[in-house]
Amino acid sequence: MRLELGKINIVDVQFGDTTKIESGTLYVNKQKIIDIVMEDEHIKSVEVELAKPGEETRITPVKDVIEPRVKVEGQGEIFPGVMSKVTTVGTGRTHVLKGAAVITCGKIVGFQEGIIDMSGPGSEFTPFSKLNNVCLVIKPVDGLKQHEYEAAVRMAGLKVATFIGKVGKDVQPDEVEVYETKPLLESINEYPNLPKVGYVYMLQTQGLLHDTYVYGVDSKKIVPTILYPTEVMDGAILSGNCVSACDKNTTYHHQNNPIIHDLYERHGKDINFVGIIITNENVYLADKERSSNWTAKLCKYLGLDGAIVSQEGFGNPDTDLIMNCKKIENEGIKTVIVTDEYAGRDGASQSLADADAKADAVVTGGNANEVIILPPMKKIIGMLDYTDKIAGGFDGSLRADGSIEAEIQVITGATNELGFNKLSTIGF
Amino acid sequence: MVKEIERTGIPVVHMCTVVPISLTVGANRIVPTIAIPHPLGNPALEKEDEKKLRRKLVEKALKALQTEVDGQRVFED
Repeated sequence: MRLELGKINIVDVQFGDTTKIESGTLYVNKQKIIDIVMEDEHIKSVEVELAKPGEETRITPVKDVIEPRVKVEGQGEIFPGVMSKVTTVGTGRTHVLKGAAVITCGKIVGFQEGIIDMSGPGSEFTPFSKLNNVCLVIKPVDGLKQHEYEAAVRMAGLKVATFIGKVGKDVQPDEVEVYETKPLLESINEYPNLPKVGYVYMLQTQGLLHDTYVYGVDSKKIVPTILYPTEVMDGAILSGNCVSACDKNTTYHHQNNPIIHDLYERHGKDINFVGIIITNENVYLADKERSSNWTAKLCKYLGLDGAIVSQEGFGNPDTDLIMNCKKIENEGIKTVIVTDEYAGRDGASQSLADADAKADAVVTGGNANEVIILPPMKKIIGMLDYTDKIAGGFDGSLRADGSIEAEIQVITGATNELGFNKLSTIGF
Repeated sequence: MVKEIERTGIPVVHMCTVVPISLTVGANRIVPTIAIPHPLGNPALEKEDEKKLRRKLVEKALKALQTEVDGQRVFED
């Protein structure tokens, strides 16, 4: 599968009469966005606001972040099985509005959404402070159940991102990158002397609003399977998660998974990146056993020499991570695991809920329990009434002057386990 | 908590869903349960059947509590 990714650099976002891109500025028609969101009878109201890098703006409670993309050539559309038919994607050409994002906000669970600061110390902890964001603050109709609210906000975000993405269809991209993964046997024949490396991509699927979708399928119902990496760039995987903000993968993280990009960077040079195995993190032990058995089986079947395993979330998924690591290692395949830590505010506690001697190559996205003080901001997009209860917050987190003292857990993407951030640790 | 209570000389049964974590943290008597969001029940069952399931789990735990163990043991069916 071969995909050309054309990046249209977006340096500013403004409201305008029509939605279009002109010399790097994205113009959005506010009323059109409102109309798209309000098509859903579950939604009572939506506020559309813009947030740009450097502004004294705080966005919260953040549910998802989505990058606008559009298919230009090749079959299917972005977000197959959800926004379009379930056609297999990942070939041809896709345009990306690089530097722009759609952010959805709402008090869905209340304590499991995040904070994005566009300036100040908090902005250093989230990659989304560097983007030109179109924010949707969505309120549900009275009496709507939590899971219906989640679905409504998820779909609203995807619809708006798809609408905005489409204006990039006929725009000449600033840069085009090509990604290609060949069928396994061809790939092995092409680079017979390079070690074969695969990527085991763990998806949060604990249910109770902790869900991820693959081609429209709720992925707690899948068994591990194989994807071409370019399918992910076309939105094959998307987030339906309301879970701790720091280490959940937003849809934006999936679309831009840095592990995939870094493996492609080295493909054909010192490794042969042969593909992705997606797997889940379910709440029944039998599911955990079955899925980790299957990832190990598929790694062996693909003839891998090494595998990168990334986790999403924390707590019991630590066990899925360790089971994957241990079972893949037992097949004689080297692993590196990518995770984050809950090591206490002083960093002295055990970082993961589970461990094994075979997990001897670990990349961390940082300690989610580190405390940060976020100064007051001039503008709030969304609302602050859940700040004391947010995961990583505590009674008194929100101070009288509008500043917030909380663990970095509250910041969207702060300890992302795909390495989509700056925090890590080096062992000496 | 399991380890601290045992340190005082009182035997403990750890009823939990994720047995590997229980083994990692060092529980000695482990009874596997249903699922992480509902360890001691199953909302998919009828009320009567669920009651039987719950009773079975508690009885299994009481039996484990009275069983001498030499190191870690998982009480499967």
